[in-house]
Amino acid sequence: MSPPRGPADRLDADALDLLRAIARRGVIARRLEEGAERAVLRSIVEATVRLFDAEAASIALYDPALGQLVFEVAAGEQGQGVIGLAIAPDQGIAGYVFTTGQALALSEVESDARFGRGTAEATGYVPRSIVAVPLVDERGTIGILEVLDKRSSVAFSLRDIELAGVFAGQATVAIRASRVERDLASLLRAALTSLAEPADRPTIERIVGLAIADLDGDDEGRLWTIVDRVARLRQADPGELELLAEILEVVARRAEGRAEQRRRSGRARGPR
Amino acid sequence: MTEALLPAWSEPFVGERRAGLLRSRPLGELDRATIFEGADGTGVTVAIIDSGVERDHPDVGGCLVRSVVVDLDAEQDEPVVHEDPESLDVVGHGTACAGIIHALAPAAQLISVRVLGPDNRGKGAIFAAGLEWAIGEGATVVNLSLSSRSEAMFPVFHDLADRAYFANCLLVSAANNVQGASYPSLFAAVVSVAAHDVADPWTWFYNPAPPVEFGAYGVDVEVAWKGGGHVVATGNSFAAPHVAGLAALIRGRYPSASPFEVKTILAATANRPG
Repeated sequence: MSPPRGPADRLDADALDLLRAIARRGVIARRLEEGAERAVLRSIVEATVRLFDAEAASIALYDPALGQLVFEVAAGEQGQGVIGLAIAPDQGIAGYVFTTGQALALSEVESDARFGRGTAEATGYVPRSIVAVPLVDERGTIGILEVLDKRSSVAFSLRDIELAGVFAGQATVAIRASRVERDLASLLRAALTSLAEPADRPTIERIVGLAIADLDGDDEGRLWTIVDRVARLRQADPGELELLAEILEVVARRAEGRAEQRRRSGRARGPR
Repeated sequence: MTEALLPAWSEPFVGERRAGLLRSRPLGELDRATIFEGADGTGVTVAIIDSGVERDHPDVGGCLVRSVVVDLDAEQDEPVVHEDPESLDVVGHGTACAGIIHALAPAAQLISVRVLGPDNRGKGAIFAAGLEWAIGEGATVVNLSLSSRSEAMFPVFHDLADRAYFANCLLVSAANNVQGASYPSLFAAVVSVAAHDVADPWTWFYNPAPPVEFGAYGVDVEVAWKGGGHVVATGNSFAAPHVAGLAALIRGRYPSASPFEVKTILAATANRPG
C-alpha cells in the first residue's frame, strides 16, 4: 500500500491502514451476506407469484453507483428475462413507482404501443397488466416490487396493491438486515464528515477513495474465492467449523511470518 | 385474504365497509345541483405536480396553458424551475391526472409541473420546489398524486401545506397505497384522497375518521397515457384528480371559497355511504 501523499492528506498511514481494515471487513461481510439477501428476495418473489397466480414477479433495487434500477431477482414462467436488466430510475412504471414512492396498478398496457414496450420486449415478455409497489426503508425508496399478469383476472385491484405492499415490506426488511455494511463508501464518508469541517469534503473523498481502493481488485481474487467458500459453510457442523478455524489459523500465521521475513529483508514483494 | 391485508387508506371506502362512513351531517346535505350544475371550472387554474402532461393528448382538451420542469442546478445542489416548451410526460401518469381533471372541469386551465428528472437525487427537494413554485404562481388547486416518505421532508411539506392553505390554494393529495406516513398527503391542511371501487367519477365519499378524508373513483379507471394512448389504472393516484376536478368546479362557482370551505362543500355533497 502506498502512503498518502500531498499536504491535503492529514491522515497518517496507521489511521489509513485501520480504515482499510474496516473497509475490508465490510466487504467481506457484504460477500457473506449477499447470497443470503438474494435467497430471501428470491423466496419473496416466488411466494408473490404463487399467491397472485401471476406470470411473473420481480424486484429491482436502485444501484447508486450505476444510477440505475437493476432487476435483481424474478420468479414465474415469464419472469426470468428481466434479471440483470438495468433501467433509468424514472423510466416506465417501475421508474415512476421508484421515483414517486406511489404504488400503481395498470392494465391493458399493450393498448399503447409506446408504453415501455422497448423495456418489456427486452425481457422477452410484454405484460397485459402490472402492479408495482415501492420498497421503502427509513431513508427513502430503495427499489420496487412488480407483479405481471394475474392469470385469474385481467386487472389488479387495490387489494392486490396492498398485498404486494406487504411483500415489498418483507423484502425491505430482508435488505435492510443484510445491507448495513453494504454501501461502505457512504458509511465511511458519513463517519468522517461527522468529524470534519464541511470545507474538508475533498479531503474526505480522497481518504474514502484510498480506504476502499482495490477492494475488488483482481489481485484479491483468490482471497475472495476463500471468502465465498467460507460463506458456503453455513451448513457445517461445529466440528467441521472448528477444524476449518484451526487450518486457517495455521495458514494465516505462516503467511504473516513470511510477510515479516520479507519486510526484514527489505524486499517489497517476495517471489511467488 | 385477511382483513389485515385490505388497502391501508382505501379500506373504509370499499364495498360493505362504506356503511361505516355513515354519520349525521352537521350542515345537513347540500344539494349537489346548486353547487355543480353549470359549473365548468372557469377562472380556475389547476397545477398538476407529476411526471409532466402531454399538451396534445386529446383527453387534455387543449387546456394545458403552461409546462415547467424542476431539476437540480449545475452544482446538483439546488432545485431550479425551467419552462418545458415540449411539454413532455416521461411516464403517462401526469397526463392521466390531467385527463381526469379536464373531464370534470373542462374550462379549468391546467399547468404541468414535472418533478421527475433524469437525476433521481434530491427528488424530495425537487418535488417540494415544484409545489412551492405552483403556490407562488397562484394556482387555485394543486393535484398531488405523489408523496414523499422522507422524514427529512416532513417540516418542508408541513410549511408548504400551511402556506398553500393561507394563500387560498387547495392541495389535493393522493394517500399512499402502502401503509405508513407520507407527506404532505396526510396533513390536515390538504384534501387527502384514497380510492373507491364504484366506477363513477361523480361518486365520492367523506370519511369522518381521518387522516384520509375522501374516497373517489380510483379502481380500474380508463386514463390517458403517454403517446396519446390510454391504459386502465388503479391507485389512489387516480382518485385524487377526481376530487381536484370537483374542487375546481367549486372554486369556479365560488371563487373566494377558502380551502376549508371547499372541503366543507365536498363533505356536504358527498354520496351517502352504503
